[in-house]
Amino acid sequence: MNCLEAKPFVQAYVDGELTGADREAFQRHLVTCDGCSKTCRWQARFKAAVRAHLPRPPVPQELRNRLKVSLGGEPIAPRRWPWLTHPRLVPAAVAAVLLLGITGTVRRSQSMVLQQSQRSYHTEMPMDIVGSDCGSIASWFRGRVDFPLHAPSLGGQATCQGGRLVNVGERPAAYLVYQVANNHRVAFLVFAPRDESIEAPHRRVVNGREIYLDGGPGTSTAAYWDRGLGYVATSDLDEDSLTRLVTAAFVTNAAAAP
Amino acid sequence: MPLLRKRPSRADFEREALPHLPALYAAATRMTRNEKDAEDLVQDAMLRAYRFFDTFEAGTNCKAWLFRILTNVFCNRYREREREHEIMSEAESSDVNIEQFVGGGIEGRDAEGALLGKMVSADIEKALAQVPQDFRMAVILADLEDFSYKEIAEIMNCPAGTVMSRLYRGRKILQGLLHDYAVEQGIIPGQPADAAADHEAAKTVDMAAFRRKREGKTAT
Repeated sequence: MNCLEAKPFVQAYVDGELTGADREAFQRHLVTCDGCSKTCRWQARFKAAVRAHLPRPPVPQELRNRLKVSLGGEPIAPRRWPWLTHPRLVPAAVAAVLLLGITGTVRRSQSMVLQQSQRSYHTEMPMDIVGSDCGSIASWFRGRVDFPLHAPSLGGQATCQGGRLVNVGERPAAYLVYQVANNHRVAFLVFAPRDESIEAPHRRVVNGREIYLDGGPGTSTAAYWDRGLGYVATSDLDEDSLTRLVTAAFVTNAAAAP
Repeated sequence: MPLLRKRPSRADFEREALPHLPALYAAATRMTRNEKDAEDLVQDAMLRAYRFFDTFEAGTNCKAWLFRILTNVFCNRYREREREHEIMSEAESSDVNIEQFVGGGIEGRDAEGALLGKMVSADIEKALAQVPQDFRMAVILADLEDFSYKEIAEIMNCPAGTVMSRLYRGRKILQGLLHDYAVEQGIIPGQPADAAADHEAAKTVDMAAFRRKREGKTAT
């Protein structure tokens, strides 16, 4: 594949929609072509930046109220749901609408970084820096991210593969990829939080530290805070193995801290 | 419809559909470019979804189903003026034109360092609002709501190939507009408009021409 043949695939690749032989051929081309790699990176960063800059506006309370009222007067099918008019169920339903609305909002707005991490994991963008030495990968980020980056130390069970500069919110962040036993892959999104939240539906407390867990299609995600930085790990490992891995990471990191 | 299938209840609707309210409202504000219209649009779409909730197959993608309704209601009720369509189809039919005014324009200009780092939310919001409707919707659905091409094709009721070209053009126009703003604000160096001989500058000039043309047409 040459650049001319590769060009039509850039967008689908960035969007994680390129599969099979096309994807393999495109990736082989990327390895040899700086120009196309750069285009992919730029497009991916642009996409991430647009998303980061356009958060969801809060749903106006008036809209929620209007919905509450109008849903009350609108049966799914006429005469099919007479219980809806039951005097005791109406306040209960109204309360449920409010509760669901509120929890819905909180959940949506909280998981943006986790979603980003899962998306990056599936998109498999080319790396900005490739290598098995976690230390040199971390030092590549010096001056590129505005916080001191230490690659999470996963012990002998994992080797670094590379890193990529990404955006979280408006700030640069590091995306680090590790290979672990049996060809599993773990990617860490490390960022300095502004007002991002990493809360997810499941929470575990290990060694006094909170880990938030979430699952995507075929992946698990674990997120935690460590010395002012946010860490979001996404992997094709199951939730328990990933939890063990990140627990080991922050225990080791804490031990290594000055 | 199988007789044995459990009929959905209002609680089912609340559980399945209401968590998507923030996403629907966010998309609606960017589709209508107006908060009041967005509220009306979401309310209409939600009521419609509720009324037809028994056609929703439990376990399938409720968010995509709701967005399809939202998009339908939007197209029926808030379709923008014909003029914008003319311009959009002009743009859609003329690949060369689009390529000229935006093709690769900002990638070559230290965009990673300057443009990405200094983009301001208000500018992006303003630029997105200027992207013609169908391209804008593709960008909203793909980049802000993370729908797959297949889902967007279902939501917008068009082939996946059309989704890809709308998305491509939507992003390119957005990038072109942002590049123009950045030049106007002196964030990145621009070429004077009369330096038409310069290849890169020609792209910028064409983008500005596109905008003028569009504003001119919709203003009358």
